[in-house]
Amino acid sequence: MKTVRLISLICLILLAGAMVGVVAADYTTPESIVAADKVYVSGATYDPAVFFPGDKGTLTVDVTNGNTVTGIVVNHASLSSDTLRTTSRPYDTSTSLGPAQKQSFVYSVTADGLDGTYFPTFSLSFRDADSLYYRAMVRIDDTPIELTILDKPDTFSQGKKKTIYAQVANPRENTVKNVILDVSGTGITATPSRVFVGNVVSGARIPVNFSVTADQATTLYLVLNYDNGDNPHTVNMDVPITFGVDKKQANPVISNVLVKSDAGTYHITGDVNNAGLEAANTVMVTALSPAVPQDPYKTYVVGALKPDDFGSFEVTFTATNTESIPLQLSYKDADGNVYTALQDVKIPVSGAAADAKSTGLPVIPIVAAIVVLAVFIGGWIIYLRKNKK
Amino acid sequence: MKHSIVDLLIRPGAFFQDAMSKKESLTLPALVILAGGIAGAMYGYLIGDLTGQLLNGMMPGMGTIVTLSTVLGALIGTFIFWGIWTGVMYVFSFVFKGEGTFRRTLEFIGYGYLPQVFGTLITFVIALYYIPRIHVPLLSAAAAQNPDIVTGAVKALMHDPAMMELSQIAMIISMVFLLWSANIWIFGMQHARKLSPRDAALCVGIPVVLYILYMVYSITVM
Repeated sequence: MKTVRLISLICLILLAGAMVGVVAADYTTPESIVAADKVYVSGATYDPAVFFPGDKGTLTVDVTNGNTVTGIVVNHASLSSDTLRTTSRPYDTSTSLGPAQKQSFVYSVTADGLDGTYFPTFSLSFRDADSLYYRAMVRIDDTPIELTILDKPDTFSQGKKKTIYAQVANPRENTVKNVILDVSGTGITATPSRVFVGNVVSGARIPVNFSVTADQATTLYLVLNYDNGDNPHTVNMDVPITFGVDKKQANPVISNVLVKSDAGTYHITGDVNNAGLEAANTVMVTALSPAVPQDPYKTYVVGALKPDDFGSFEVTFTATNTESIPLQLSYKDADGNVYTALQDVKIPVSGAAADAKSTGLPVIPIVAAIVVLAVFIGGWIIYLRKNKK
Repeated sequence: MKHSIVDLLIRPGAFFQDAMSKKESLTLPALVILAGGIAGAMYGYLIGDLTGQLLNGMMPGMGTIVTLSTVLGALIGTFIFWGIWTGVMYVFSFVFKGEGTFRRTLEFIGYGYLPQVFGTLITFVIALYYIPRIHVPLLSAAAAQNPDIVTGAVKALMHDPAMMELSQIAMIISMVFLLWSANIWIFGMQHARKLSPRDAALCVGIPVVLYILYMVYSITVM
């Protein structure tokens, strides 16, 4: 009995082994499947590389036939995703992919999802084999590019040109194109009013400077336009323009004033100290009416004065019928705006001015002459009368 | 001579009465005039130096010429004025039928100059105080081409407050001592030209008063 069972078991094992050999011989892998195995996705490119939510763009999938002698027929190529909506038609016609040939499949897509990383699936079905699947990763990021004011005046002055220093920075992971900054506002003259920045690569910072001349207190509108792929985007910024005294502006002060008069011409010498925190450029000193500036120093150019720096000046002029004259001090700031300040300086009466004063009679000598003459004449009259008697 | 110089100053009548008995001599009067000339030259040096400073910028050496001219002018001018005063009074005395030589008149007028020597010396001392306070304008060679600037510079110097004060003080001192001289001259003319006191007073007083009025006028139009 035991022997029968053993023999039966051996027979079953042998039968099973024989059946396996029969199956292996009947289902050998076809050549088309082997060829399909060598077809692969050689690249997938999004434009833009990173989408804003709602952005439209393209996905280009490059498929390469890795076979050197065998071509392959593709029936259908499609893209599927919940967050990246395909807006173009799928590839649903058969096409042949020759040996070592590359075929690009381009899809128009719209980013419907929120911020995040997604994996749309690209599928390619072969006529003589199964399908190829590929997950093309895409990022959706709502981070805009940054417009920053690096430096601007504390306050503005009416009609004075001031420079604003701004910066465009790109915190995104892709390059943005056609970056343009528009500067506008009521009663504002901006130079330039439109600045083309160009492409800003990821992580780049680009300085943008412009000058603003305000005729009134207002708001400066900065609009930064740029394209992410072919999708226009905008960043807005409002900068209040208020009038007042700039705390840092140059403040030239005249001191150590000394007035001399030579031949009817006055010479005023003194020092100009810059008590401000910014440099005063092209500092000039001259005398105003009623003074009439004369050579050699009609106008004295002190030059540039840095903060806490000082320079000497000398002006020459003539003046009549006045005891003081206004001294004008002018300077320019870094933007070329001209600032003026006046300081009255007392001048001694001399020269031509003394002429007017001298029209008044010198009372003391005249009185003295009359008194002395009266004493002399009176004395002699008395003497003569006494002598006559 | 019995009477001294002090008598000349305070009792000129007695001095000249005594002098009439002496022979005419111009030695002492000339010395008085010389003293007056030297005092005037000293004062003139100070004033001339100021003008010289003003003009030195126009031409080097101009200042020295001006100073020298002022000094010599003051020295010689005193002698010339001695003659002019004497001439005027001598001619005037003819109106009152005066008798006496011109030489005697010249002698007595010369004596009468003595108070003015003192006056000029006092003015000189006062000028030493005022001169440093006077600001002298400087004229450049280019400025000298413009007459208006030169005129303005001279005016500026004359109208300098210290200069004006000095001029007025000098005028008052000069006037007082001129009247003192006039007082002496009256007695001098009385004896030299044998005039009555009244005629001598008119003879001297009229030109002196006219001269003083001219001095006052000059100072007012300065």
